[in-house]
Amino acid sequence: MAIMNIREAISSTLMAEMERDSSIIVLGEDIVGGAGTAGGPEAIGGIWGTTPGLYAKFGADRVIDTPISESAIIGAAAGAALAGKRPVAELMFADFVGVSLDQLWNQMAKFRYMFGGKTRCPAVVRLIYGAGMNTAAQHSQSVYAMLTAMPGLKVVLPTTPADAKGLLTEALRGDDPVMFFEHKTLYGVKGEVPDGEHRQRFGEARMVREGGDATVVACGRMVNFGEKAADKLAADGIGIDLIDLRTTSPLDEEAILDSVEATGRLIVADESPPRCSLAADIAALVAAKAFTSLKAPPQMVTGPHAPIPFARELERAWVPSPQKIEDAVRRALAFR
Amino acid sequence: MQLPRDELIGAYRRMATIRAFEERLHEEIKTGEIVGFTHLYCGQEAAAVGVCDHLTDEDMIVSTHRGHGHCIAKGCDVKAMMKEIYGRRDGLCKGRGGSMHIADLSVGMLGANGIVGAGAPQAVGAAIAARLDGKGRVGLAFSGDGACNQGTTFEAMNLAVVVKAPAVFVFENNHYSEHTGDSYAVGTSNDIASRAEAFGMRAWRADGCDYFDTYEAMRELLDYVRAGNGPAAIELDTERFYGHFEGDPQRYRGPGEVDRLRETRDCLKAFRARVGEAKLLDPADLDRVDAEVAQLIEEAVTEARAAPPPDPADVAQDVYVDY
Amino acid sequence: MAKLKPFPMPKWGIEMSEGTIAEWLVEENRPFDKGTLLTLIETDKITNEVEAEAPGRFVRIIAKAGETYPVGTLLAVLSDGGEASAAEIDAVVAAFKPADSSFEPDTPVPSPAPVPAPAATPAPPPVPDDVAISPAARARAADAGVDVTGISGSGRGGRITAQDVDQAARAPTEPHLAGPYPLSPGGTAFASPMARRLATLHAVALDEITGTGPRGRIRKADVLARLADAAPPPPAPGEITVTPMSSMRRTIARRLTEAKSTIPHFYVRRRVRADRLLALRAAVQGQRPSVNDYLVKACALALREVPRLNIQVHGTEIHRFASADIAVAVATERGLVTPIVTAADQRSLADISATMAALAQRARAGTLKLEEFTGGSFSLSNLGGFGVEQFDAIINPPQGAILAVGTARPEPIDDDGAIRIVPVLHLSLSCDHRAIDGADAGRFMVALAALIEQPELL
Repeated sequence: MAIMNIREAISSTLMAEMERDSSIIVLGEDIVGGAGTAGGPEAIGGIWGTTPGLYAKFGADRVIDTPISESAIIGAAAGAALAGKRPVAELMFADFVGVSLDQLWNQMAKFRYMFGGKTRCPAVVRLIYGAGMNTAAQHSQSVYAMLTAMPGLKVVLPTTPADAKGLLTEALRGDDPVMFFEHKTLYGVKGEVPDGEHRQRFGEARMVREGGDATVVACGRMVNFGEKAADKLAADGIGIDLIDLRTTSPLDEEAILDSVEATGRLIVADESPPRCSLAADIAALVAAKAFTSLKAPPQMVTGPHAPIPFARELERAWVPSPQKIEDAVRRALAFR
Repeated sequence: MQLPRDELIGAYRRMATIRAFEERLHEEIKTGEIVGFTHLYCGQEAAAVGVCDHLTDEDMIVSTHRGHGHCIAKGCDVKAMMKEIYGRRDGLCKGRGGSMHIADLSVGMLGANGIVGAGAPQAVGAAIAARLDGKGRVGLAFSGDGACNQGTTFEAMNLAVVVKAPAVFVFENNHYSEHTGDSYAVGTSNDIASRAEAFGMRAWRADGCDYFDTYEAMRELLDYVRAGNGPAAIELDTERFYGHFEGDPQRYRGPGEVDRLRETRDCLKAFRARVGEAKLLDPADLDRVDAEVAQLIEEAVTEARAAPPPDPADVAQDVYVDY
Repeated sequence: MAKLKPFPMPKWGIEMSEGTIAEWLVEENRPFDKGTLLTLIETDKITNEVEAEAPGRFVRIIAKAGETYPVGTLLAVLSDGGEASAAEIDAVVAAFKPADSSFEPDTPVPSPAPVPAPAATPAPPPVPDDVAISPAARARAADAGVDVTGISGSGRGGRITAQDVDQAARAPTEPHLAGPYPLSPGGTAFASPMARRLATLHAVALDEITGTGPRGRIRKADVLARLADAAPPPPAPGEITVTPMSSMRRTIARRLTEAKSTIPHFYVRRRVRADRLLALRAAVQGQRPSVNDYLVKACALALREVPRLNIQVHGTEIHRFASADIAVAVATERGLVTPIVTAADQRSLADISATMAALAQRARAGTLKLEEFTGGSFSLSNLGGFGVEQFDAIINPPQGAILAVGTARPEPIDDDGAIRIVPVLHLSLSCDHRAIDGADAGRFMVALAALIEQPELL
């Protein structure tokens, strides 16, 4: 076991997997950085610091710095994957999905099905997402629910360094397109990472806390907030099952339903606006399949039906927080 | 070319305001009081002002993430902009947008934009609207050497040619798309204007660090577009004095690169030299403008720092007109 | 005069929140030129050299090498050239307001300097007559006599829903908390979280189970099936399963049969209002005692007032106890257990609560020591958690009495002539008439009711 942060877990996994498998290529804006400048290539290593050293080791054929052209980045990844390579494309901000949506939605996601199961599209798209840094409406969004809704895509959200390694390795070994979401405030989160090969299956949720009084389902940064809420609730004798989904597609329905059947109360924390969100999806799942177990209405902890604002006061009002999760658990417990 | 004295003073004032605004932000951001992303326009002042000095409030521009200069050149209120960047309730966009999303429709500023390449199609739409209004107005997109590589920009140029829209594509080539050089990222190396020509429109080229060169080229270009000849483009060769965003360590710069740019490619220095040689303006006149601008920026920062924050209860206001 | 300005911890890149001063490369008051390296600052990504952007000097260096500071922290005071007096420097330090670089949403944003108050704000409009409420909610409010003006509606735009009215009409309840569990060990088996938990709880080895879930995942049902295999087979339809009683079950059966058939039981019943007790409990900050903990304390104090109930009966002898040792009925997988809170009349509520929690946990785990569940001078049995309104209990021999408590449910009471609906508890006291008379039982109930209804005495 080595102690490292999520950024290091991702960059070291990319390095190790590229060494292992020569079909893996990476591409994106400034993932090398400094191409065509006096400072020369490798001046950046990705603005998030997740791709340093790859260019020096694997060269320009496999580590491709692209112009600002998101449609072309994702489209090229789709094509390279059809042609037998394993591309890892980076969207510097997940919000730029908007620019490249067709290549994800109508192309990558649908190839295998449309072509009668005769193709594979093993592309990994790394999307840096999330609010909390005052990056305002076009650089803060968590678009995982939208991609989760698209049949053909797998959606992955690591919250620990071990899972970052395990899930990224799994994505690179699998043969389906994977949307790999990295929360911009979590890169510095440190933890133990297994040495050597470490794969984490998709569709297998992680129990972060266990308790008998309520089920809190979360993904991404909301898991970390859920832990803070759980600690405060535990001081009052309230125990929660805190479920880190790890992947929203495939979804570990079993972990959610088994837990709700035991606790009778569901809280979903989702860093999104409420409509057609992951929170709404899971609340509907539980209402449909665990209705008789419920002691209180499902509680959705989401942002408001509004874009993410810039000013600190407004962004903090927007983002679901540990306090809001704690309040929702108490609301569910107070239901009579 | 003979510009009246008042217009010369005005042009200098607008450029100096942009410079002082950005230099001051560079200082203030270091304190951490201003959050989020801020992309400074320093070095490109002659481009924004040389273009916008030909425009009225009814001509509409679409800007970029590096938009403070375009806002000031187009006439946005400097104090309200500063409040916006500080995230204040009375900011130009009520603290919701911040540096990257400043807009003021009342002066024809359709918005800075966080998505590279998003603006050009919108400028075509504004141009189509302007033609319908029949007042000889234009829709104008500022884009950089980054946005020129987006499909949206290509589509916008073709559409503008197809519908003969009075659209203007201004490409400010500051030679860096974020952290990557234009010699790498722009396939038609150092020549963006040729792309516009390839789409079938006339294109001009000018020195974006020279107010007069930019201004003259834009005069010709706008005469051409306003005469109903369809869209046109211009590539302005300019420089970025700071990083991609504030906090960018800029390790991609060469040794002494920024000092050299500030020495040889400073549009304000060039302006002073030019009006001095031609005896158009007295240096004291420009010094007085500098002092007034410094005063304005000082007030803008003082007022912005003291301004009330937004009310968190308003977080979901203004999502719709009516809901 | 020199112009001074603060030199704060810079923010590089996007997500930097703090930096460590690796080294100061210039000394205080030593003039430097533009481009001089001033300091090395480490972040979790990289070490950065900070160059002077203009000539000047540090007139005061505040931050220490080796220390880590949040972005925006004042590290030093810069002068554009000349020296400065200590007072001038102090003024810069005092005026400096560190920026908030936190990414945590629950931290309040520091408010900017106060500004002149805006013109007088208009008074809030009067509450509109037409409250936004759904038709079903309006009807239910009328039926239940609920005042809707105090309800904050959960519907769109604050519209009051039927569920909102139902909630307002019901008295607050206290959920019975299961509390936190230890995290189930991970292991390498491919199993669902609940399967892991059950396997740990029942000491089943997951790697011996074949999963029936997708891709062979071990599910809750697979673990339960393994447990059922170990247990006797389920009865076929129409068949009756015969299971011998466990030794614990046999002990319970013997003792209670003896008690019910040999002790002349009589029962005294009374309702008490519980609203004040519940309110008092709700106001507790931090670790809250359970309602039952309050009742343990109340019984103990009432026994002190009426010591004739604080007894054991042994043949023709009555053993009166000096302290109130309250046996509390705890349901476990294996059957009823009654661990004892000794000297409950001398313990604080928090002490009782902690003791009771520990005893209950050991009772469920089957690890109580003999002395922890033998003896006792009085018993308490509470089935309120199951929604039971009222019941009578069998005396736990050789004790003289047992109190049976139901759930707190809203009922009308006469509150100084006014009818109010408040949570009410139904108490039933079973007494051994060989040692206790009706009047003693009555006195005990008076004392107990007073303690529950004026819980500040507890």
